[in-house]
Amino acid sequence: MNPDEAPALLTVDDLRISWPGSATDVVRGVSFQLRRGRVVGIVGESGSGKTLTCRAILGTLPDRFSISGGHVDLLGRDVTTLTPKDWRALRGSVIAAVFQDPASYLNPSIRVGKQVAEILRVKGGLSRRAAKARAIELFRDVALRNPELVYAQYPHQLSGGMLQRVLIASAVALNPQVLIADEVTTALDVTVQSAVLDLLNDLRLRIGLSLVVVSHDLAVVAQLCDEILVLRDGEVVEHGPTEQILFAPTHEYTKLLVGEHERYGLERYLAAADEPDGSDLDTLQAGAEETDRVS
Amino acid sequence: MLSRVLKLRSGRISVGLLSVILLLAILGPHIAPYDPLAKSDLVFGGSSGAHWFGTDYLGRDLLSRLLAGATISVLGSVEVAIIALVAGAVPGVLSVYLGRTFEWLSLRLIDTLIALPFLVFAVAITALLGNGIPQAMFTVGFLVAPMFYRVTRAATLSVAQSQYVEAAVLAGASVGWVVRKHVLLKVLPPMTATLANAMGTGFIVVASLTFLGIGVQPPDPSWGGVLASDLNYLAYRPWAPLYAIVPILLTVWAFNLLADAIRDVSGASGRVLLADVARPLPKRKVGAA
Amino acid sequence: MSRNDAPAQDRLLQVEGLDVHYGRRTHRTQVLWDTTFEVRRGESVGLIGETGSGKTTLARAIVGLVRPSAGRVVVDGKDVTAFTGRQWRALRRDGSVQYVFQDPLRSLDPELTIRATLREPLQLQRRLSADAIDERIAEQLELVRLEPELLDRYPSELSGGQRQRILLARALVTDPALLIMDEPVSALDAANRVLVLTLLNRLRDRGVSMLFISHDLGSVAGVTDRVLVLYRGELVETGSTADVVRRPRHPYARLLIGSAPTLTTGAVNRAERDELRRLLDGG
Repeated sequence: MNPDEAPALLTVDDLRISWPGSATDVVRGVSFQLRRGRVVGIVGESGSGKTLTCRAILGTLPDRFSISGGHVDLLGRDVTTLTPKDWRALRGSVIAAVFQDPASYLNPSIRVGKQVAEILRVKGGLSRRAAKARAIELFRDVALRNPELVYAQYPHQLSGGMLQRVLIASAVALNPQVLIADEVTTALDVTVQSAVLDLLNDLRLRIGLSLVVVSHDLAVVAQLCDEILVLRDGEVVEHGPTEQILFAPTHEYTKLLVGEHERYGLERYLAAADEPDGSDLDTLQAGAEETDRVS
Repeated sequence: MLSRVLKLRSGRISVGLLSVILLLAILGPHIAPYDPLAKSDLVFGGSSGAHWFGTDYLGRDLLSRLLAGATISVLGSVEVAIIALVAGAVPGVLSVYLGRTFEWLSLRLIDTLIALPFLVFAVAITALLGNGIPQAMFTVGFLVAPMFYRVTRAATLSVAQSQYVEAAVLAGASVGWVVRKHVLLKVLPPMTATLANAMGTGFIVVASLTFLGIGVQPPDPSWGGVLASDLNYLAYRPWAPLYAIVPILLTVWAFNLLADAIRDVSGASGRVLLADVARPLPKRKVGAA
Repeated sequence: MSRNDAPAQDRLLQVEGLDVHYGRRTHRTQVLWDTTFEVRRGESVGLIGETGSGKTTLARAIVGLVRPSAGRVVVDGKDVTAFTGRQWRALRRDGSVQYVFQDPLRSLDPELTIRATLREPLQLQRRLSADAIDERIAEQLELVRLEPELLDRYPSELSGGQRQRILLARALVTDPALLIMDEPVSALDAANRVLVLTLLNRLRDRGVSMLFISHDLGSVAGVTDRVLVLYRGELVETGSTADVVRRPRHPYARLLIGSAPTLTTGAVNRAERDELRRLLDGG
């Protein structure tokens, strides 16, 4: 099936978010559609409204922030009409999220495996034994080495990259259709970052997960996404397929982001490449050829 | 800092009260209506137009004695606080910079001083060195010094480990420069709060000592001494001790109020836990890579 | 190595066989192993490594904040390894080597105005009059594109990008020959990153040598001539930036290059990345 014809799981239409402390809306007119198995990227600095957009989609806007216009449809239901009970049913099993700073989302005094098993038991209705088996299986799925050992460890015993994997495991524990990844790799070393991004790509390919990937780094988003929204000061300054954003940016800000990479990033040394396909990590032929030639 | 303290109600009350008390301490002997040592036949006199607070067992005017005694009581506490400041704050700062031996020695010495009971030790020292004001003040000053040592040491430690001090060191700053430019400014607010606190403490101790007859010889007036002699004649004038107790209480209260106000505006915690002080100089934090 | 043929006055910084240990006796751990490299006059070098690789320790050892247990550091022809405190102070006051910390807020004294902060290194030098110092500060401020009004503010009243540039200005007031920078751009937003990187390139053109410490080669690749890759306390790869990016030899360097987020094409494909990860984890 052509993914472009799949029904939209998530539709954000002219979303506006207001806050009493600000005269104008803090998010103004964000629109996109997320279809099964696709990845939408949102790029912006801190304060650009990208996290607020995510939280509006998740129904967890901070105090005194509210949706003042437009709507967010999740599986055809307008999220503003959802009751807290509806949300409890939806979160985890339909939509889930992972954020920056994984340690703050885990209880430091409970073994991480138990925390994931708890979700499976309480919300997934599994027995204690089945929940543990499933949690270990999930840990294996997110490429944690030695999942049995990790199951019995406390958060402080794990590195940032491992914690983020645990969080991703718990996010996908109930087989959600949509995963929102908000700055998930920000605090990580680049090699760990790429491993987490590879993992997200695997999840998308293997279980058909649809992703909203949010980052301040255009390159991070570019590696995963089919389409990209560039957010600045609460407004979408550019929105289009990844190739278009990368190779034919129209807005000054997008040009700045692209230009920075071309001038100061690795790109200037890797430039002698074929027609690249920025959307898929597995078809980086140019890079592969380059490395083949060397080794 | 003073203007910020004065913005608080507690700050205004304490500063106002202390100004009045200080003024009395300076002018007291001069505005006293009678000679504080002059005896008269009016013994145990009640309040009257001539003697507002009445007279004591020798017929001396109580108001005059309190005014004259204000000097020794208030200035004594200031003296104690300043001695404590010098004896405590200087090693407090130095303990961070002079290396492990000095640090260890000063910490053990301070632990010892904290363990000594104030009054008993002061009494013992004056018994040893003679009953005089300087001896008493020095003894008490040294006993209050740990308060300053703890506060300045904790504040200095936190500054000394900061990255901006490291930046200054990398620009070629010496220890003296670092202390002058970066440490003093940050140690000052908690030190001022401690100073107010120490004056309160010093004041109580001075009053207690004079109450016990130490530091000030009998005919000379002091607030503690006046209180002590009045207490002997409760049967004749049961209300009389109040005349000495109220100024003592007000002064101590005002000092403590001021200390709290300074603490509130400076945001620095003048209340330093013993654990912060007893902690040895941490090994330089490394591997911050 | 051909580099050693370079004339001595051309070598601004030489690090030879440097070992650094932390802790004592039973807690003793080695964080740097036999590290050797040099920075030549006018050269810009990137020191790349992950968290815990020892890159910050190496930089701290160079500026004398960490004492090496073996090897030597030669700054501008002077062996500083056995320097006394007084000698270090003299060298630092000279200001020919400047270190810019990673965290701009924490490395600025919160109770000092920006003016006082910028004056400090020059006051310590005791070479310039007060007027000359202020003039010099004004020049540096202009160089880093900041308004003179900022001088009377406190660090907390500045934005992150402004603070980072103040740090740069403080490092530049002494006209350093070598600038050591720890993650100079990783905390900045795009506009400030470009601004700082452009500024660094301008300094490069002026002949200032630089040593950049970063976990992400991608963030500093454009301002470096040469790259050193540090992995678990050892230099595993050195070479010109172009060579290292195009032909990384050590598995970790390959993974590092293959992991750096790029807009277009990665240097290493997915399958190889997985293989490299397995290889490195096993080792």
